Amino acid sequence: MKLLRRPSLLIAVVVLAVAAAAVVAPQLIAPYDPLASVGSVRLGPPSAEHLFGTDHLARDVFSRVVHGAQLSLSAAVLAVAAGLALGSVIGLITGYVGGAVDVVVMRFVDVLIAIPGILLALIVVASLGFGPLSIALGVGLGAAGSFARVMRAQVLRVRGEEYVEAARTLGVRGPTVLARHVLPNAARPIMAMAAMELALAILSVSALSFLGFGAQPPAPEWGALVSAGRDFVATAPWLSLLPGAVILAVVLSVNSVARSIRGDR
Amino acid sequence: MTRPEQRVASAAAGGRARAIARFLIPKILQCVFVIWATYTVAFLLMHALPGDPVLAALSLRGGDATSTDPAELDALRARYGLDGPLWQQYLTGFVGIFAGDFGTSIATGEPVATMIGRAFPHTAAVAVFALVGGFAAALAFTVWAYLARPAWMRDVVTQIPPLGIAIPAFLTGLVLISVFSFGLGWFPASGTTGFASVVLPGITLALPTGAIFFQVFSAAVFDAGASPFVVTANAKGLAQRTVVTRHVLRNALLPSITIIGLQIGYLAGGTAVVETVFSRDGIGRLTVDAVLARDVSVVMGVVVTVAAVYAVVTLVVDGLYGVIDPRTRTRLLSAKAVSR
Repeated sequence: MKLLRRPSLLIAVVVLAVAAAAVVAPQLIAPYDPLASVGSVRLGPPSAEHLFGTDHLARDVFSRVVHGAQLSLSAAVLAVAAGLALGSVIGLITGYVGGAVDVVVMRFVDVLIAIPGILLALIVVASLGFGPLSIALGVGLGAAGSFARVMRAQVLRVRGEEYVEAARTLGVRGPTVLARHVLPNAARPIMAMAAMELALAILSVSALSFLGFGAQPPAPEWGALVSAGRDFVATAPWLSLLPGAVILAVVLSVNSVARSIRGDR
Repeated sequence: MTRPEQRVASAAAGGRARAIARFLIPKILQCVFVIWATYTVAFLLMHALPGDPVLAALSLRGGDATSTDPAELDALRARYGLDGPLWQQYLTGFVGIFAGDFGTSIATGEPVATMIGRAFPHTAAVAVFALVGGFAAALAFTVWAYLARPAWMRDVVTQIPPLGIAIPAFLTGLVLISVFSFGLGWFPASGTTGFASVVLPGITLALPTGAIFFQVFSAAVFDAGASPFVVTANAKGLAQRTVVTRHVLRNALLPSITIIGLQIGYLAGGTAVVETVFSRDGIGRLTVDAVLARDVSVVMGVVVTVAAVYAVVTLVVDGLYGVIDPRTRTRLLSAKAVSR
């Protein structure tokens, strides 16, 4: 099997499976309550009973990271979904309609791509207020431009194919042609791109949450956990480095899976 | 009466000026377009999304709509250019940009342009460090990968740089702080004091910058490596060092210059995190603080500034590219010949 021949991909899939489990049922993995003090040892180092140590309120950091997966990863997935939906609609319409609409809309899409994603997300957060939802929408908006471009390219590729011509000659209406013939054939490259964007979205979401624009304490969120540990980086560096390493592991795993969807080695 | 050779010379000069104008004017227009479109996108987002910026800023300072006198609210709106119909706010805002007027900060009451001007040099120092460091590292890795034998070794080398873009910047920053500030004591962990304080934030941003450079470099180098002129150079027995520096790198470096604009965008986003990690003054911290205070005029000002820097750098790079790359230059001159 493909998976067994490539150990790095196998590891990536296992990491993502654990992360997914943490999203669905964190209480099965986390040994402690993420919000309650679990003893009297503050800023304790990693040990057998506290894998990632304990924070300044003597909470189990590992349990907080496990529970944080829910907020952080669902925000990232939501961001990609929002970007995918918005970008696909723009790309489908501009690609299919063509003409002046295409020219004008795509120039704005270029600008959307040129504005750094984090800045775009910051504009959205500044207007909508703080929280994982605004972060997700902001990051999704940043991804929408690239999705629109890829979707448009796919539509242009598929539009000239005989089966689309045939459907149009038979009198099938535009939206139906798009939904039944164009969209399914454009799906694979879009999915590969969605996977790539998910890795970027996890990074952006955790960066924004690190900056303090995400869920408010004491709710655990990956970026916020790193940020909370930052105050103790001289005495208890593991508090921020271990949650940071978890983010890195998940991002690398998503990248690796994304590459295999795209068909690279 | 002018002598014929003088006329020829002045006609050639005129032709060159026209050719340069033909090359530059569309690019300058493009520059203005990018700034306008960015401003428009940011403006639309600010006003299409729900929320009143003045009320939001007030509520963070402890006041709200019910406790503040309506006349006072109106006065505040007028002061920050947030009164009148939307199209008017839109137009005055855009015209102001070109006069260097970015409005007034709701949180501090200072002109936004002053705040940005003060923060800019600190960020530019880190960004330049990151660009130069990333460029050098990407170059080193590319040459190493190109020369690495056997094939699996090359595969390993090419896998390393992409990691730079997968590591969250705050993680890199904190690791560097733990090792080089608290561990070895070589560099300060925070602050905006001189060159020493630029090094660690610069390295943090050099990782993703280098990763992006490497992507372009390595593709171009392996392309050039497989091209006929390199095969010829190898076949006629040139030393490998000569082939790499003269033929492979020269052809691979030029395309990478064009992505500097992209890098600027990436750096602008990255500084927000890095300046927070290292507690440095700069554009990134300014933006973060502005978002925390829901200070829309500052956020808007920063976005437009970043777009302007991006547009101008792209313009300069395009211009330089025309000067550096003989092929573009020939195209310019031949266009002139056709027009005569």
